[in-house]
Amino acid sequence: MVKKKHYRPAGKKKEGNAARFVTRSQAVKQLQVNLPLFRKLCILKGIFPREPKKKVKGNHHTYYHLKDVSFIQHEPLLGKMRDIRAYEKKVKKAEAKKNRDRAIILRQRRSTYKLDKVILQRYPKFIDALRDLDDCLTMVHLFAALPAIEDRIDVKRIHNCRRMSHEWQAFISRTHKLRKVFVSVKGIYYQAEVKGQLITWLTPHPLQQVLTDDVDFNIMLNFLEFYEALLAFVNCHLYRSINVKYPPILDPRLEAFAAELYALSRYFDASSRSSVLDPQVSSLPGSSKVDESELRLAQLQYQLPANEPGALMGLVENVPGEDEEDNDTMMCKELFKDMKFFLNREVNRESLLFVIPAFGGIVSWKGDGAPFEEDDNSITHQIVDRPLQHELCEGRKYVQPQWVYDCVNAKKILPTRDYLAGRELPPHLSPFVDPKEEGYVPDYALKIEQWKASEILPLPDVGKEDLEDPQNFADLEKAKEAAKNDKKLKALQKEYFDGLKVELNGVPPSSSISKTDNQISAKATEDREESDPDYEQIAKDKEELELLTISKKKRGLYEAMKKGKKRKHDNVEVIKERKRKLKESQKSRDG
Amino acid sequence: MSGGEGSDLEDYPSIRDRDSEDEESGSSENEGELYTSRNDGLAIDHGNEEESDSSGLHEAVEESDSSEDEVAPRNTIGAVPLEWYRDEKHIGYDLTGKKIKKKEREDKLQSFLASADDSKNWRKFLDEYNDEEVEVTKEDMKTINRLLEGKAPHGDFDPYAPYVDWFKWDDSKHPLSNAPEPKRRFIPSKSESKLVKRLVLAIRKGLIKPTKDEEEEEESVYPLWGDDSNSTEKDGSHLSYIPAPKPKLPGYEESFNPPPEFIPTQEEIDAYQLMYEEDRPKFIPKRFTSMRSIPAYENAIKECFERCLDLYLCPRVRKKRINIDPESLKPKLPSRKDLKPYPVKCYLEYRGHKDTVTSVSTEASGQWIASGSSDGTVRIWEVETGRCLKLWEIGEAVTYVAWNPNPEYSVLAVSVLCLQWNGIVEETTFQRWCQQISFLVSKYHICSLSLSLSLISLTHFFCMIQLVISLHFLDLALRQSKSIFMHRLSQKSTQTFSIKLGGLAVTSVFHPVRSHIFISTKKTIRQYDLVKGKQIRKLDTGLKEISSIAAHPSGDHVIVGSREGKFCWFDMDLSTKKPYLIRQWHKKDINNVSIHRLYPLFATCSDDCAVQVSHGMVYSDLNQNPLIVPLEILRGHASSDGRGVMDCKFHPRQPWLFTAGADSVIRLYCD
Repeated sequence: MVKKKHYRPAGKKKEGNAARFVTRSQAVKQLQVNLPLFRKLCILKGIFPREPKKKVKGNHHTYYHLKDVSFIQHEPLLGKMRDIRAYEKKVKKAEAKKNRDRAIILRQRRSTYKLDKVILQRYPKFIDALRDLDDCLTMVHLFAALPAIEDRIDVKRIHNCRRMSHEWQAFISRTHKLRKVFVSVKGIYYQAEVKGQLITWLTPHPLQQVLTDDVDFNIMLNFLEFYEALLAFVNCHLYRSINVKYPPILDPRLEAFAAELYALSRYFDASSRSSVLDPQVSSLPGSSKVDESELRLAQLQYQLPANEPGALMGLVENVPGEDEEDNDTMMCKELFKDMKFFLNREVNRESLLFVIPAFGGIVSWKGDGAPFEEDDNSITHQIVDRPLQHELCEGRKYVQPQWVYDCVNAKKILPTRDYLAGRELPPHLSPFVDPKEEGYVPDYALKIEQWKASEILPLPDVGKEDLEDPQNFADLEKAKEAAKNDKKLKALQKEYFDGLKVELNGVPPSSSISKTDNQISAKATEDREESDPDYEQIAKDKEELELLTISKKKRGLYEAMKKGKKRKHDNVEVIKERKRKLKESQKSRDG
Repeated sequence: MSGGEGSDLEDYPSIRDRDSEDEESGSSENEGELYTSRNDGLAIDHGNEEESDSSGLHEAVEESDSSEDEVAPRNTIGAVPLEWYRDEKHIGYDLTGKKIKKKEREDKLQSFLASADDSKNWRKFLDEYNDEEVEVTKEDMKTINRLLEGKAPHGDFDPYAPYVDWFKWDDSKHPLSNAPEPKRRFIPSKSESKLVKRLVLAIRKGLIKPTKDEEEEEESVYPLWGDDSNSTEKDGSHLSYIPAPKPKLPGYEESFNPPPEFIPTQEEIDAYQLMYEEDRPKFIPKRFTSMRSIPAYENAIKECFERCLDLYLCPRVRKKRINIDPESLKPKLPSRKDLKPYPVKCYLEYRGHKDTVTSVSTEASGQWIASGSSDGTVRIWEVETGRCLKLWEIGEAVTYVAWNPNPEYSVLAVSVLCLQWNGIVEETTFQRWCQQISFLVSKYHICSLSLSLSLISLTHFFCMIQLVISLHFLDLALRQSKSIFMHRLSQKSTQTFSIKLGGLAVTSVFHPVRSHIFISTKKTIRQYDLVKGKQIRKLDTGLKEISSIAAHPSGDHVIVGSREGKFCWFDMDLSTKKPYLIRQWHKKDINNVSIHRLYPLFATCSDDCAVQVSHGMVYSDLNQNPLIVPLEILRGHASSDGRGVMDCKFHPRQPWLFTAGADSVIRLYCD
């Protein structure tokens, strides 16, 4: 039997969800575009499906708000895309007619479109753009590490991604906005704070990426297209905010050595100096070509003292607008102050070149274009990622790169003992975990906390017992606390069960049945004996009774919360159990 | 011009033939000479090089020169596939017929290192046919490059050398053709002018534009957001933008060097295989000893892609995430200690029945209880001692027993499945048992009784509105024909009410105060005025299948239990048809509900072997809702055949509860 449709009088408009939401195919039909173009427009305009309260067409459809659809419909880009499509047909036609010259000319005159209006529409304020920058940065950084693939990823775009990611990093590094760094298996996570917004992004390890076939690159490229435009505007805005011209002009020599980041920092250096020298230049950003050449000149000028390393990387100049810096930034700026780093060939240069200057350090590397050489006597730390092979230089520490990251996350110079080259590294902990939320704090985190609290770091030359000391101390304290908690818990439990017993046994039958008291009490004792071990059932019942009073909606919530808590607790228990076993096995090995 | 020459040639074919033949032969000779000399030069060059470089690496070059005859290849096997020699130690034979042994190959690392060290390495390649490495010289490279560019192979060749006219003959001043110039040579081309016109028009219209400079595009980035201060205006015309949730931040386990306790053991990893796909952890922590040894993450692109999909395909909904202590969700209720007394503990068990006890009933004085069982017996027990006073064998499974609530007349009604039997007990003492009275019930009724589980309800109201009746004992039988039979004991008659029920009647209860009756069908409850014979109220329970009903002593509240384990509380003072509350406190069918006549207590018994005792306080103030607090779950009955507790009744005066279980035991719970 066919279900009768809901009757609506002729001429009466749809109402409610039926009027407000349309399915995707309806939207495509309304816009008169094909599906890939619809997707692209959705991506560019940032339009996402919505969840109507009532799904009129069925559960298996995706619904778009009618306003969103009309938002696309009134977008000039839509017309532009249609024109482009028609134009492509023209080119195709010329090719099919073997009219090569015309095809070439047509191809040259292909029109492009700009996304600036779309960006401004999506992010009316700069802060909005910053809020949504996470995905953008992750994607741009990923593509910067990808190889170009014929017919899929253009070399130009990859270079562009690379350039922009470096520009972003240079800004963060220069303004000391970086807060946290975490080296994970997936890549390196960075967290920066720009204008009060925490921006986290992931950069892949600088290795050949594995390309998979089960990925639709068209969609990713559509996203990338928008992200590239967005990041360019964001970078431009940020650069202007510190009075640096955008786009930056880089030293081609350094660029050739793949040290763009360093080149950018040099550029900053030069432009800030020139702004000190000639405020007019920076106050009229991008006004003319003369500016550029002047900048270039200034930059070249300051390339001269390049051999003089201290002057070069010391970026702690009085850049205008630095008074607004908050405490955090000041702290970050001072972390590696008066330290000079040298990177060996095998370490991740890009990451460290970004991180160390962001925290006020001076850095150089092995390779062409480096600001100072390995045999410089003023180097305090040399970053090494493999067992030492040659003789050491005096007066410097050979540490593994993890030390830098751990110092950054702890906001404190940690003792280098555990991190010396060739040593087994202490665990690298995520700075993004809230220990209270997690419910479990690894030992090393406690140790770092203790160091931070004590302010006095154990001297690197003290014997090994001292090193173990904080660990022991922490353990002891923890154990004590745990024991105390345990005792308390046990006491509470006992009290509870006692209470239950009293409740069960102590309540005398009421006076009305006093005359048959003997019999009943006899029976009762029997009963009691029967049900005595059933405390757990009773406790469960009690809990259940409490649950019964909650309304259905809240009960679902309550149970979900309980479940979540339990899962978390279980996870922590698993970890603790593992730890216990590890300790045991270690003991048995030692003993 | 060429046309003119052609015509000349036609005029002097003989001359042309002769001359051209001569010239051609001459020129070909010349060319041949040139070629040979060039070749000689090359040969000499190579000879020199061979002298200087005795390894003879350049044979291959000459071999590739398509003139194979010049230098024979070292190998004489001919054009056979080299695979044939793959497993041999030799690659072929030289001119003298000796085997040419294979050279040892460098491994990849060696060759890579060599390529890194030697800047000329890119010019070397392996000649597999002769099994030797060949180096292309700079000169050869130049030649190759020139060939690739489409130029003459030799650098010395000048394509723009001054023209030497070898075709000179005496009559060359005469034109080759004597035909007059055609007219088209003198008038401007029409098609060309058309083309020019078209182009001019196109340029004027702006259809043809000069090509854009690439530098223009570079200017596309400009400060998009002005000062943030002036962009505070808000555009209200758009829908609210819901920002995408940020990706989850990594925890300890994602570190390249996590604490050792975060790394699962091998057994645990194996155990993951047994889990469901969705439960399985997606990421297994792993430890790397140094940063150098971290490999590229294989899922990087896939994860990025998935994030993209989430961003543009997932519907976004704003959801409030509350961060509260779950305990605070529980409503504030008075403590149970303040609500005492209520039955807590089992004090007595009445054993004797052989089968499921289906029903219990308390006598109005509270001294005796009657129970009916499926083993076909009805028993009378003394409450305080648990002694069985009386036993009737009925022979049929008893479905329901009920005492007369009027203490003056002790009458017990018993209903059995297919036959109705009533025992009436007169006087408060149990010495004299009255005669049995059975109603005349037609076959048809009995039939329907068995179908619809007839029930008996007792009340004392009839004495007030009826004439003086010595035995005011009513029996109500519900029938499938949707009419109600009222049996009047005093008159020994049966009366029929034709009431529209709208379904099969399930159970009924008399209004405790007024001459009303509540009759429930599967889903609804109707209240009828028996005197006026009309419906007063209809209540929608919203339950699937009602099993039992109980009326509050005030008559303004009704509790309904259902087979899905829910019960609902109706407040008649409310104007709605809907229940005041519905709760599911049992996991299985509720068999019966009961309300205490004096204390604010009610109980529900269910097949999950539990009896739920609750506090149900009713206030006379109409503004105050009834207070319902679950007090105690009474357990103790064992399940048999999937049935649990069949019936529960409160003691008429004490806060005690009698429960009849399917395990043939009756229990008394006291406070």
